[in-house]
Amino acid sequence: MWNLYLPVAGTSLNIVLLFGLGGAVGFLSGLFGVGGGFLMTPLLLMVGIPSTVAAASDSNQIVAASTSGTYAHWRMGNVDFKMGFLLLIGGVLGGTLGVQIIKVLRAMGNADFVIKITYVLMLGIVGIYMFLESLQALRKKGVMEAKRMEPGQPSIYVRLIQALPWQMRFEKSGVTFSVLLPLILGILVGILAAIMGVGGGFIMVPVMVYMLRMPMHVVVGTSLFQILFTCINVTVMQSITNHNVDLVLAVILLVGSTLGAQIGAKLSRRLHADQLKILLASIVLLVMVQILVSLILTPAQLLAYKGGH
Amino acid sequence: MLRPGKGWRWSGVALFFGLALGAYGAAQAAAPEFQVTPDAVEVGSFFEGAQVELQGAIPPGATAVVEVLGSTASEALLRKGRRGGLWMSVGEIRVHNAPSLYLVLSSSPQIPELTGQETPWGIAALQRKVKFGGRIEPGEQAKFFREFLELKKHEKVYGILPGGLKVSPAQGGKSAIRGIIPLPAKVPVGKYQVKLSVIQDGRLLSSQEKVLEVKLVSFPAMLRDLAQQQGALYGVLAVIIAIATGFLMGFLFKGKTGH
Repeated sequence: MWNLYLPVAGTSLNIVLLFGLGGAVGFLSGLFGVGGGFLMTPLLLMVGIPSTVAAASDSNQIVAASTSGTYAHWRMGNVDFKMGFLLLIGGVLGGTLGVQIIKVLRAMGNADFVIKITYVLMLGIVGIYMFLESLQALRKKGVMEAKRMEPGQPSIYVRLIQALPWQMRFEKSGVTFSVLLPLILGILVGILAAIMGVGGGFIMVPVMVYMLRMPMHVVVGTSLFQILFTCINVTVMQSITNHNVDLVLAVILLVGSTLGAQIGAKLSRRLHADQLKILLASIVLLVMVQILVSLILTPAQLLAYKGGH
Repeated sequence: MLRPGKGWRWSGVALFFGLALGAYGAAQAAAPEFQVTPDAVEVGSFFEGAQVELQGAIPPGATAVVEVLGSTASEALLRKGRRGGLWMSVGEIRVHNAPSLYLVLSSSPQIPELTGQETPWGIAALQRKVKFGGRIEPGEQAKFFREFLELKKHEKVYGILPGGLKVSPAQGGKSAIRGIIPLPAKVPVGKYQVKLSVIQDGRLLSSQEKVLEVKLVSFPAMLRDLAQQQGALYGVLAVIIAIATGFLMGFLFKGKTGH
Protein backbone atom coordinates (compact mmCIF):
# COMPACT_ATOMS: atom_id res chain seq x y z
CA MET A 1 0.00 0.00 0.00
CA TRP A 2 2.82 2.41 0.89
CA ASN A 3 4.93 1.20 -1.99
CA LEU A 4 4.52 3.54 -4.89
CA TYR A 5 5.41 2.33 -8.38
CA LEU A 6 7.89 4.57 -10.22
CA PRO A 7 7.08 4.04 -13.92
CA VAL A 8 10.32 5.33 -15.45
CA ALA A 9 12.61 3.83 -12.80
CA GLY A 10 10.65 0.57 -13.20
CA THR A 11 10.61 -0.30 -9.53
CA SER A 12 8.60 0.58 -6.45
CA LEU A 13 9.64 2.31 -3.25
CA ASN A 14 8.16 3.25 0.09
CA ILE A 15 6.50 6.66 -0.15
CA VAL A 16 7.46 7.65 3.43
CA LEU A 17 11.12 6.83 2.81
CA LEU A 18 11.18 8.98 -0.35
CA PHE A 19 9.40 11.82 1.40
CA GLY A 20 11.94 11.67 4.24
CA LEU A 21 14.89 11.64 1.83
CA GLY A 22 13.47 14.68 0.04
CA GLY A 23 12.89 16.50 3.32
CA ALA A 24 16.40 15.91 4.65
CA VAL A 25 18.16 16.96 1.45
CA GLY A 26 15.82 19.95 0.94
CA PHE A 27 16.61 21.11 4.47
CA LEU A 28 20.34 21.15 3.70
CA SER A 29 19.64 22.87 0.40
CA GLY A 30 17.73 25.73 2.03
CA LEU A 31 20.32 25.97 4.79
CA PHE A 32 23.47 26.11 2.67
CA GLY A 33 22.33 27.07 -0.82
CA VAL A 34 23.54 23.84 -2.38
CA GLY A 35 21.34 21.80 -4.71
CA GLY A 36 22.06 18.68 -2.72
CA GLY A 37 22.69 16.57 -5.82
CA PHE A 38 25.93 15.30 -4.36
CA LEU A 39 23.90 13.83 -1.47
CA MET A 40 20.61 12.83 -3.10
CA THR A 41 21.89 10.89 -6.10
CA PRO A 42 24.02 8.46 -4.01
CA LEU A 43 21.10 8.03 -1.58
CA LEU A 44 18.74 7.16 -4.43
CA LEU A 45 21.25 4.65 -5.77
CA MET A 46 21.40 3.04 -2.34
CA VAL A 47 17.63 2.48 -2.28
CA GLY A 48 17.71 0.81 -5.71
CA ILE A 49 16.92 3.49 -8.32
CA PRO A 50 18.88 3.03 -11.58
CA SER A 51 21.67 5.62 -11.62
CA THR A 52 20.64 7.47 -14.79
CA VAL A 53 17.07 7.84 -13.53
CA ALA A 54 18.33 8.91 -10.09
CA ALA A 55 20.46 11.75 -11.47
CA ALA A 56 17.81 12.99 -13.92
CA SER A 57 14.89 12.85 -11.48
CA ASP A 58 17.03 14.50 -8.82
CA SER A 59 17.63 17.53 -11.04
CA ASN A 60 13.86 17.83 -11.48
CA GLN A 61 13.47 17.69 -7.72
CA ILE A 62 16.15 20.38 -7.26
CA VAL A 63 14.12 22.71 -9.52
CA ALA A 64 11.37 22.65 -6.90
CA ALA A 65 13.66 22.89 -3.87
CA SER A 66 15.63 25.77 -5.35
CA THR A 67 12.44 27.59 -6.44
CA SER A 68 11.18 27.31 -2.89
CA GLY A 69 14.58 28.29 -1.45
CA THR A 70 15.20 31.16 -3.90
CA TYR A 71 11.72 32.51 -3.19
CA ALA A 72 12.28 32.37 0.58
CA HIS A 73 15.68 34.05 0.30
CA TRP A 74 14.43 36.65 -2.17
CA ARG A 75 11.76 37.72 0.34
CA MET A 76 14.52 38.20 2.88
CA GLY A 77 16.51 40.26 0.35
CA ASN A 78 19.24 37.68 -0.07
CA VAL A 79 19.44 37.22 -3.83
CA ASP A 80 21.98 39.14 -5.92
CA PHE A 81 20.38 38.74 -9.35
CA LYS A 82 23.13 40.61 -11.20
CA MET A 83 25.83 38.36 -9.78
CA GLY A 84 23.62 35.29 -10.25
CA PHE A 85 23.15 35.97 -13.98
CA LEU A 86 26.86 36.49 -14.59
CA LEU A 87 27.76 33.27 -12.76
CA LEU A 88 25.01 31.46 -14.63
CA ILE A 89 26.31 32.55 -18.04
CA GLY A 90 29.80 31.46 -17.01
CA GLY A 91 28.41 28.18 -15.63
CA VAL A 92 26.61 27.31 -18.87
CA LEU A 93 29.74 28.04 -20.94
CA GLY A 94 31.90 26.03 -18.54
CA GLY A 95 29.41 23.15 -18.46
CA THR A 96 29.44 22.88 -22.26
CA LEU A 97 33.24 22.88 -22.19
CA GLY A 98 33.32 20.29 -19.39
CA VAL A 99 31.10 17.89 -21.35
CA GLN A 100 33.57 18.08 -24.25
CA ILE A 101 36.49 17.44 -21.88
CA ILE A 102 34.73 14.33 -20.56
CA LYS A 103 34.21 13.11 -24.14
CA VAL A 104 37.93 13.44 -24.86
CA LEU A 105 38.82 11.68 -21.59
CA ARG A 106 36.40 8.84 -22.37
CA ALA A 107 38.00 8.41 -25.77
CA MET A 108 41.38 8.25 -24.02
CA GLY A 109 39.96 5.63 -21.66
CA ASN A 110 40.64 7.15 -18.25
CA ALA A 111 37.54 9.29 -17.69
CA ASP A 112 36.47 7.45 -14.58
CA PHE A 113 39.85 7.91 -12.92
CA VAL A 114 39.81 11.67 -13.59
CA ILE A 115 36.19 11.98 -12.39
CA LYS A 116 36.84 10.13 -9.13
CA ILE A 117 40.05 11.97 -8.36
CA THR A 118 38.48 15.36 -9.20
CA TYR A 119 35.59 14.51 -6.92
CA VAL A 120 37.73 13.52 -3.94
CA LEU A 121 40.16 16.41 -4.41
CA MET A 122 37.46 19.06 -4.81
CA LEU A 123 35.42 17.83 -1.86
CA GLY A 124 38.59 17.49 0.22
CA ILE A 125 40.05 20.92 -0.61
CA VAL A 126 36.74 22.76 -0.29
CA GLY A 127 35.79 20.91 2.90
CA ILE A 128 39.10 21.29 4.69
CA TYR A 129 39.62 24.92 3.70
CA MET A 130 36.11 25.94 4.72
CA PHE A 131 36.29 23.93 7.92
CA LEU A 132 39.60 25.42 9.06
CA GLU A 133 38.70 28.95 8.06
CA SER A 134 35.35 28.86 9.88
CA LEU A 135 36.89 27.23 12.94
CA GLN A 136 39.48 30.00 13.11
CA ALA A 137 36.78 32.62 12.65
CA LEU A 138 34.59 31.12 15.36
CA ARG A 139 37.50 31.21 17.83
CA LYS A 140 38.29 34.88 17.34
CA LYS A 141 34.96 36.07 16.13
CA GLY A 142 35.24 39.72 17.12
CA VAL A 143 38.60 40.26 15.47
CA MET A 144 37.55 38.57 12.22
CA GLU A 145 34.33 40.54 11.99
CA ALA A 146 36.23 43.81 12.30
CA LYS A 147 38.86 42.64 9.81
CA ARG A 148 36.29 41.84 7.17
CA MET A 149 34.91 45.35 7.27
CA GLU A 150 38.34 46.72 6.31
CA PRO A 151 39.57 46.48 2.75
CA GLY A 152 42.49 44.34 3.94
CA GLN A 153 46.03 44.37 2.56
CA PRO A 154 46.02 44.07 -1.22
CA SER A 155 47.17 40.52 -1.96
CA ILE A 156 48.21 39.41 -5.44
CA TYR A 157 44.67 38.09 -5.99
CA VAL A 158 43.10 41.44 -4.99
CA ARG A 159 45.52 43.42 -7.15
CA LEU A 160 44.83 41.10 -10.05
CA ILE A 161 41.07 41.42 -9.88
CA GLN A 162 41.33 45.19 -9.46
CA ALA A 163 43.37 45.35 -12.65
CA LEU A 164 40.64 43.66 -14.71
CA PRO A 165 38.53 45.95 -16.94
CA TRP A 166 34.78 46.66 -16.67
CA GLN A 167 34.52 47.20 -12.92
CA MET A 168 30.96 46.96 -11.66
CA ARG A 169 29.24 47.57 -8.34
CA PHE A 170 27.17 44.67 -6.94
CA GLU A 171 24.84 46.43 -4.47
CA LYS A 172 23.30 43.35 -2.85
CA SER A 173 26.64 41.72 -2.18
CA GLY A 174 28.35 45.00 -1.31
CA VAL A 175 31.34 44.31 -3.59
CA THR A 176 32.87 46.00 -6.61
CA PHE A 177 34.93 44.24 -9.25
CA SER A 178 35.20 43.40 -12.91
CA VAL A 179 32.30 41.74 -14.73
CA LEU A 180 34.88 39.24 -15.98
CA LEU A 181 35.53 37.79 -12.51
CA PRO A 182 32.15 36.09 -11.91
CA LEU A 183 32.13 35.02 -15.57
CA ILE A 184 35.54 33.34 -15.32
CA LEU A 185 34.78 31.73 -11.95
CA GLY A 186 31.41 30.59 -13.33
CA ILE A 187 33.20 28.91 -16.24
CA LEU A 188 35.65 27.14 -13.91
CA VAL A 189 32.88 25.85 -11.63
CA GLY A 190 30.86 24.83 -14.71
CA ILE A 191 33.76 22.74 -16.04
CA LEU A 192 34.27 20.98 -12.71
CA ALA A 193 30.54 20.41 -12.21
CA ALA A 194 30.19 18.86 -15.66
CA ILE A 195 33.17 16.59 -15.08
CA MET A 196 31.76 15.43 -11.75
CA GLY A 197 28.17 15.27 -13.01
CA VAL A 198 26.82 17.49 -10.23
CA GLY A 199 25.11 20.88 -10.06
CA GLY A 200 28.21 22.41 -8.52
CA GLY A 201 26.54 24.20 -5.59
CA PHE A 202 29.07 22.93 -3.12
CA ILE A 203 31.92 24.43 -5.19
CA MET A 204 30.04 27.60 -6.13
CA VAL A 205 29.24 28.49 -2.51
CA PRO A 206 32.89 28.56 -1.36
CA VAL A 207 33.86 30.39 -4.58
CA MET A 208 31.33 33.13 -3.80
CA VAL A 209 32.40 33.33 -0.17
CA TYR A 210 36.16 33.29 -0.61
CA MET A 211 36.84 34.53 -4.13
CA LEU A 212 33.95 36.91 -4.67
CA ARG A 213 33.94 37.97 -0.99
CA MET A 214 30.13 37.94 -0.81
CA PRO A 215 28.29 37.83 2.55
CA MET A 216 27.20 34.25 3.40
CA HIS A 217 23.46 34.99 3.42
CA VAL A 218 23.53 36.53 -0.05
CA VAL A 219 25.69 33.63 -1.21
CA VAL A 220 23.03 31.08 -0.25
CA GLY A 221 20.18 32.94 -1.98
CA THR A 222 22.21 33.70 -5.10
CA SER A 223 23.53 30.16 -5.37
CA LEU A 224 20.00 28.74 -5.20
CA PHE A 225 18.85 31.17 -7.88
CA GLN A 226 21.59 29.99 -10.19
CA ILE A 227 21.05 26.29 -9.42
CA LEU A 228 17.36 26.72 -10.31
CA PHE A 229 18.22 27.60 -13.91
CA THR A 230 20.91 24.96 -14.28
CA CYS A 231 18.50 22.24 -13.16
CA ILE A 232 15.60 23.42 -15.35
CA ASN A 233 17.96 23.02 -18.29
CA VAL A 234 19.12 19.56 -17.16
CA THR A 235 15.55 18.31 -16.54
CA VAL A 236 14.32 19.31 -19.99
CA MET A 237 17.47 18.02 -21.74
CA GLN A 238 17.31 14.67 -19.91
CA SER A 239 13.59 14.30 -20.76
CA ILE A 240 14.24 14.93 -24.44
CA THR A 241 17.39 12.90 -24.99
CA ASN A 242 17.36 10.10 -22.41
CA HIS A 243 13.71 9.86 -21.24
CA ASN A 244 14.86 9.11 -17.72
CA VAL A 245 13.12 11.67 -15.51
CA ASP A 246 10.72 9.78 -13.22
CA LEU A 247 7.97 12.26 -12.47
CA VAL A 248 6.41 10.15 -9.70
CA LEU A 249 9.78 9.87 -7.94
CA ALA A 250 10.52 13.57 -8.46
CA VAL A 251 7.12 14.72 -7.17
CA ILE A 252 7.39 12.75 -3.90
CA LEU A 253 10.96 13.98 -3.39
CA LEU A 254 10.11 17.56 -4.21
CA VAL A 255 7.14 17.76 -1.85
CA GLY A 256 9.55 16.69 0.88
CA SER A 257 12.41 18.87 -0.29
CA THR A 258 10.41 22.10 -0.74
CA LEU A 259 9.13 21.69 2.80
CA GLY A 260 12.65 20.99 4.03
CA ALA A 261 14.06 23.94 2.05
CA GLN A 262 11.71 26.37 3.79
CA ILE A 263 12.72 25.15 7.22
CA GLY A 264 16.38 25.23 6.17
CA ALA A 265 16.11 28.80 4.86
CA LYS A 266 14.56 29.92 8.17
CA LEU A 267 17.26 28.25 10.20
CA SER A 268 20.01 29.73 7.99
CA ARG A 269 18.85 33.17 9.15
CA ARG A 270 19.26 32.19 12.79
CA LEU A 271 22.67 30.59 12.49
CA HIS A 272 25.90 32.54 12.34
CA ALA A 273 27.67 32.53 8.96
CA ASP A 274 30.66 30.66 10.37
CA GLN A 275 28.44 28.04 11.95
CA LEU A 276 26.79 27.54 8.57
CA LYS A 277 30.14 27.20 6.85
CA ILE A 278 31.50 24.74 9.37
CA LEU A 279 28.36 22.57 9.05
CA LEU A 280 28.56 22.56 5.25
CA ALA A 281 32.29 21.80 5.47
CA SER A 282 31.58 18.81 7.73
CA ILE A 283 28.99 17.37 5.34
CA VAL A 284 31.29 17.88 2.34
CA LEU A 285 34.12 16.13 4.22
CA LEU A 286 31.82 13.24 5.22
CA VAL A 287 30.84 12.68 1.59
CA MET A 288 34.51 12.87 0.59
CA VAL A 289 35.49 10.24 3.16
CA GLN A 290 32.62 8.00 2.05
CA ILE A 291 33.77 8.19 -1.59
CA LEU A 292 37.38 7.63 -0.59
CA VAL A 293 36.43 4.54 1.41
CA SER A 294 34.45 3.16 -1.54
CA LEU A 295 37.54 3.67 -3.71
CA ILE A 296 39.83 1.84 -1.31
CA LEU A 297 37.68 -1.07 -0.12
CA THR A 298 37.19 -4.02 -2.45
CA PRO A 299 33.64 -3.70 -3.83
CA ALA A 300 31.13 -6.45 -3.04
CA GLN A 301 30.32 -6.78 -6.73
CA LEU A 302 32.66 -6.40 -9.66
CA LEU A 303 29.90 -5.60 -12.13
CA ALA A 304 27.68 -2.55 -11.98
CA TYR A 305 25.02 -0.87 -14.06
CA LYS A 306 26.00 2.06 -16.23
CA GLY A 307 25.26 5.70 -15.59
CA GLY A 308 26.12 8.08 -12.80
CA HIS A 309 29.55 7.80 -11.30
CA MET B 1 -28.34 -43.99 -52.39
CA LEU B 2 -24.93 -44.93 -51.11
CA ARG B 3 -23.10 -47.77 -52.69
CA PRO B 4 -21.52 -50.20 -50.21
CA GLY B 5 -18.00 -49.17 -51.33
CA LYS B 6 -18.59 -45.54 -50.60
CA GLY B 7 -20.04 -46.44 -47.19
CA TRP B 8 -16.86 -48.29 -46.34
CA ARG B 9 -14.85 -45.33 -47.39
CA TRP B 10 -16.81 -42.98 -45.10
CA SER B 11 -16.47 -45.27 -42.14
CA GLY B 12 -12.75 -45.40 -42.89
CA VAL B 13 -12.54 -41.62 -42.67
CA ALA B 14 -14.56 -41.70 -39.44
CA LEU B 15 -12.26 -44.35 -38.07
CA PHE B 16 -9.22 -42.26 -38.98
CA PHE B 17 -10.58 -39.17 -37.21
CA GLY B 18 -11.63 -41.27 -34.25
CA LEU B 19 -8.10 -42.66 -33.92
CA ALA B 20 -6.59 -39.22 -34.40
CA LEU B 21 -8.81 -37.77 -31.71
CA GLY B 22 -7.98 -40.62 -29.41
CA ALA B 23 -4.27 -40.14 -30.00
CA TYR B 24 -4.66 -36.39 -29.37
CA GLY B 25 -6.48 -37.14 -26.10
CA ALA B 26 -3.71 -39.51 -25.04
CA ALA B 27 -1.07 -36.85 -25.80
CA GLN B 28 -3.03 -34.36 -23.69
CA ALA B 29 -3.07 -36.79 -20.81
CA ALA B 30 0.70 -37.27 -21.09
CA ALA B 31 1.46 -33.53 -21.16
CA PRO B 32 1.40 -32.04 -17.70
CA GLU B 33 -1.53 -29.79 -16.99
CA PHE B 34 -1.01 -26.50 -15.20
CA GLN B 35 -2.36 -23.00 -14.81
CA VAL B 36 -0.87 -19.73 -13.67
CA THR B 37 -3.23 -17.32 -11.93
CA PRO B 38 -3.38 -14.56 -12.79
CA ASP B 39 -1.93 -15.01 -16.27
CA ALA B 40 -1.59 -11.24 -16.62
CA VAL B 41 -0.09 -9.09 -13.87
CA GLU B 42 -1.09 -5.45 -13.95
CA VAL B 43 1.34 -2.86 -12.62
CA GLY B 44 -0.61 0.12 -11.30
CA SER B 45 0.24 3.10 -9.10
CA PHE B 46 0.88 0.93 -6.07
CA PHE B 47 2.90 -2.16 -6.88
CA GLU B 48 5.21 -4.14 -4.66
CA GLY B 49 5.80 -7.09 -6.93
CA ALA B 50 3.32 -9.92 -7.39
CA GLN B 51 2.82 -13.50 -6.30
CA VAL B 52 1.62 -15.57 -9.21
CA GLU B 53 0.11 -18.90 -8.24
CA LEU B 54 0.94 -21.99 -10.22
CA GLN B 55 -1.16 -25.17 -10.00
CA GLY B 56 -0.86 -28.36 -11.93
CA ALA B 57 -0.84 -32.14 -11.96
CA ILE B 58 2.02 -34.53 -12.68
CA PRO B 59 2.27 -38.34 -12.67
CA PRO B 60 2.89 -39.81 -9.20
CA GLY B 61 6.55 -40.21 -8.33
CA ALA B 62 7.65 -37.68 -10.94
CA THR B 63 9.52 -34.43 -10.26
CA ALA B 64 8.41 -31.07 -11.59
CA VAL B 65 10.59 -28.12 -12.65
CA VAL B 66 9.13 -24.74 -13.53
CA GLU B 67 11.17 -22.10 -15.35
CA VAL B 68 10.03 -18.49 -15.73
CA LEU B 69 11.92 -16.78 -18.54
CA GLY B 70 11.92 -13.16 -19.65
CA SER B 71 12.88 -12.00 -23.12
CA THR B 72 16.59 -11.91 -23.88
CA ALA B 73 18.51 -8.76 -24.69
CA SER B 74 22.05 -7.41 -24.65
CA GLU B 75 23.14 -5.04 -21.92
CA ALA B 76 26.36 -3.22 -21.12
CA LEU B 77 27.68 -3.36 -17.57
CA LEU B 78 30.64 -1.60 -16.00
CA ARG B 79 33.51 -3.70 -14.87
CA LYS B 80 35.26 -2.62 -11.69
CA GLY B 81 38.97 -2.89 -11.23
CA ARG B 82 41.96 -1.20 -9.65
CA ARG B 83 43.63 1.89 -11.05
CA GLY B 84 46.44 3.40 -9.01
CA GLY B 85 45.33 1.29 -6.07
CA LEU B 86 41.77 2.63 -6.18
CA TRP B 87 38.63 0.75 -7.21
CA MET B 88 36.69 2.17 -10.10
CA SER B 89 35.08 1.29 -13.42
CA VAL B 90 37.77 0.12 -15.81
CA GLY B 91 35.69 -0.79 -18.83
CA GLU B 92 32.48 -2.16 -20.25
CA ILE B 93 31.40 -5.76 -20.38
CA ARG B 94 28.58 -6.57 -22.77
CA VAL B 95 26.25 -9.37 -21.78
CA HIS B 96 24.38 -11.09 -24.59
CA ASN B 97 21.47 -13.50 -24.57
CA ALA B 98 20.63 -13.14 -20.88
CA PRO B 99 16.92 -13.28 -19.99
CA SER B 100 15.45 -10.20 -18.26
CA LEU B 101 14.04 -12.53 -15.58
CA TYR B 102 14.97 -16.09 -14.72
CA LEU B 103 13.32 -18.09 -11.97
CA VAL B 104 13.53 -21.85 -11.47
CA LEU B 105 11.30 -23.75 -9.05
CA SER B 106 11.33 -27.48 -8.41
CA SER B 107 9.30 -29.96 -6.42
CA SER B 108 12.50 -31.66 -5.22
CA PRO B 109 14.87 -30.31 -2.54
CA GLN B 110 17.48 -29.81 -5.29
CA ILE B 111 16.95 -28.66 -8.85
CA PRO B 112 16.80 -32.02 -10.69
CA GLU B 113 19.32 -32.92 -13.40
CA LEU B 114 18.79 -35.13 -16.42
CA THR B 115 21.04 -38.16 -16.76
CA GLY B 116 22.92 -38.76 -19.99
CA GLN B 117 22.11 -35.37 -21.50
CA GLU B 118 22.47 -31.66 -20.80
CA THR B 119 19.89 -30.35 -18.38
CA PRO B 120 18.08 -27.50 -20.17
CA TRP B 121 17.32 -25.55 -16.96
CA GLY B 122 19.22 -24.19 -13.99
CA ILE B 123 22.46 -22.27 -13.52
CA ALA B 124 24.63 -24.42 -15.79
CA ALA B 125 22.11 -24.11 -18.64
CA LEU B 126 21.98 -20.36 -18.13
CA GLN B 127 25.77 -20.19 -18.17
CA ARG B 128 25.87 -22.01 -21.52
CA LYS B 129 23.41 -19.51 -22.96
CA VAL B 130 24.81 -16.20 -21.66
CA LYS B 131 27.76 -14.78 -23.62
CA PHE B 132 30.13 -12.00 -22.61
CA GLY B 133 31.93 -9.48 -24.80
CA GLY B 134 33.88 -6.25 -24.41
CA ARG B 135 36.65 -5.84 -21.85
CA ILE B 136 36.89 -9.42 -20.67
CA GLU B 137 39.72 -11.93 -20.94
CA PRO B 138 38.93 -15.46 -22.19
CA GLY B 139 39.75 -16.93 -18.76
CA GLU B 140 37.38 -14.62 -16.92
CA GLN B 141 34.08 -15.83 -18.38
CA ALA B 142 33.19 -18.05 -15.41
CA LYS B 143 34.17 -15.41 -12.85
CA PHE B 144 32.06 -12.73 -14.49
CA PHE B 145 29.14 -15.11 -14.98
CA ARG B 146 29.15 -15.54 -11.19
CA GLU B 147 29.33 -11.76 -10.71
CA PHE B 148 26.49 -11.29 -13.19
CA LEU B 149 24.40 -13.90 -11.39
CA GLU B 150 25.01 -12.20 -8.04
CA LEU B 151 23.98 -8.82 -9.46
CA LYS B 152 20.73 -10.24 -10.82
CA LYS B 153 19.98 -12.31 -7.72
CA HIS B 154 20.51 -9.20 -5.61
CA GLU B 155 17.79 -7.48 -7.64
CA LYS B 156 15.60 -10.58 -7.26
CA VAL B 157 15.16 -10.89 -11.04
CA TYR B 158 17.11 -14.16 -11.01
CA GLY B 159 16.23 -16.81 -8.49
CA ILE B 160 16.81 -20.51 -7.95
CA LEU B 161 14.09 -21.91 -5.71
CA PRO B 162 14.48 -25.65 -5.11
CA GLY B 163 11.49 -26.97 -3.19
CA GLY B 164 9.43 -24.03 -4.45
CA LEU B 165 6.77 -26.44 -5.67
CA LYS B 166 4.72 -28.43 -3.13
CA VAL B 167 3.44 -31.87 -4.07
CA SER B 168 0.27 -33.45 -2.69
CA PRO B 169 -1.79 -36.49 -3.75
CA ALA B 170 -4.68 -35.70 -6.06
CA GLN B 171 -7.60 -37.62 -7.60
CA GLY B 172 -7.06 -39.86 -10.59
CA GLY B 173 -3.85 -41.26 -9.11
CA LYS B 174 -1.94 -38.07 -9.96
CA SER B 175 0.13 -35.69 -7.83
CA ALA B 176 -0.94 -32.09 -7.53
CA ILE B 177 1.75 -29.40 -7.58
CA ARG B 178 1.40 -25.90 -6.22
CA GLY B 179 3.86 -23.05 -6.07
CA ILE B 180 4.24 -19.30 -5.93
CA ILE B 181 6.20 -17.45 -8.60
CA PRO B 182 7.63 -14.39 -6.82
CA LEU B 183 7.74 -11.48 -9.27
CA PRO B 184 9.83 -8.66 -7.74
CA ALA B 185 8.87 -4.97 -7.85
CA LYS B 186 11.65 -4.55 -10.43
CA VAL B 187 10.06 -7.05 -12.85
CA PRO B 188 10.41 -5.61 -16.37
CA VAL B 189 7.21 -5.19 -18.35
CA GLY B 190 6.74 -7.85 -21.01
CA LYS B 191 5.72 -11.41 -21.80
CA TYR B 192 7.20 -14.26 -19.80
CA GLN B 193 7.44 -17.90 -20.72
CA VAL B 194 6.42 -20.28 -17.91
CA LYS B 195 7.65 -23.79 -18.69
CA LEU B 196 6.76 -26.89 -16.69
CA SER B 197 8.91 -29.97 -17.22
CA VAL B 198 8.22 -33.36 -15.70
CA ILE B 199 11.14 -35.67 -14.92
CA GLN B 200 11.20 -39.28 -13.84
CA ASP B 201 14.34 -41.32 -13.22
CA GLY B 202 16.53 -38.66 -14.79
CA ARG B 203 14.46 -38.64 -17.98
CA LEU B 204 12.34 -35.82 -19.31
CA LEU B 205 8.77 -37.16 -19.56
CA SER B 206 7.03 -34.12 -20.96
CA SER B 207 6.86 -30.38 -20.84
CA GLN B 208 4.38 -27.60 -21.46
CA GLU B 209 4.50 -23.82 -21.71
CA LYS B 210 2.22 -20.98 -20.72
CA VAL B 211 2.54 -17.23 -21.19
CA LEU B 212 2.54 -14.83 -18.27
CA GLU B 213 2.22 -11.17 -19.09
CA VAL B 214 3.31 -8.20 -17.00
CA LYS B 215 1.88 -4.89 -18.19
CA LEU B 216 1.64 -1.32 -17.01
CA VAL B 217 -1.88 -0.01 -16.57
CA SER B 218 -3.60 3.26 -15.65
CA PHE B 219 -1.43 6.14 -14.43
CA PRO B 220 2.04 4.54 -14.66
CA ALA B 221 1.30 3.40 -18.23
CA MET B 222 0.18 6.88 -19.22
CA LEU B 223 3.21 8.51 -17.64
CA ARG B 224 5.73 6.15 -19.18
CA ASP B 225 4.16 6.58 -22.63
CA LEU B 226 4.36 10.34 -22.24
CA ALA B 227 8.00 10.16 -21.11
CA GLN B 228 8.93 7.93 -24.05
CA GLN B 229 6.93 9.58 -26.81
CA GLN B 230 6.68 13.25 -25.83
CA GLY B 231 10.03 13.92 -24.16
CA ALA B 232 9.97 17.72 -24.54
CA LEU B 233 6.39 18.07 -23.29
CA TYR B 234 7.15 15.72 -20.39
CA GLY B 235 10.27 17.71 -19.44
CA VAL B 236 8.46 21.05 -19.52
CA LEU B 237 5.59 19.54 -17.53
CA ALA B 238 8.06 18.23 -14.93
CA VAL B 239 9.66 21.69 -14.62
CA ILE B 240 6.27 23.44 -14.31
CA ILE B 241 5.13 21.03 -11.58
CA ALA B 242 8.40 21.55 -9.72
CA ILE B 243 8.30 25.37 -9.91
CA ALA B 244 4.60 25.48 -8.98
CA THR B 245 5.17 23.25 -5.94
CA GLY B 246 8.20 25.33 -4.93
CA PHE B 247 6.20 28.56 -5.07
CA LEU B 248 3.17 27.03 -3.39
CA MET B 249 5.33 25.85 -0.51
CA GLY B 250 6.85 29.35 -0.33
CA PHE B 251 3.39 30.94 -0.10
CA LEU B 252 2.22 28.49 2.54
CA PHE B 253 5.23 29.29 4.70
CA LYS B 254 4.87 33.02 4.12
CA GLY B 255 1.37 32.81 5.57
CA LYS B 256 2.65 31.05 8.64
CA THR B 257 5.44 33.53 9.38
CA GLY B 258 2.90 36.37 9.28
CA HIS B 259 1.63 35.34 12.71
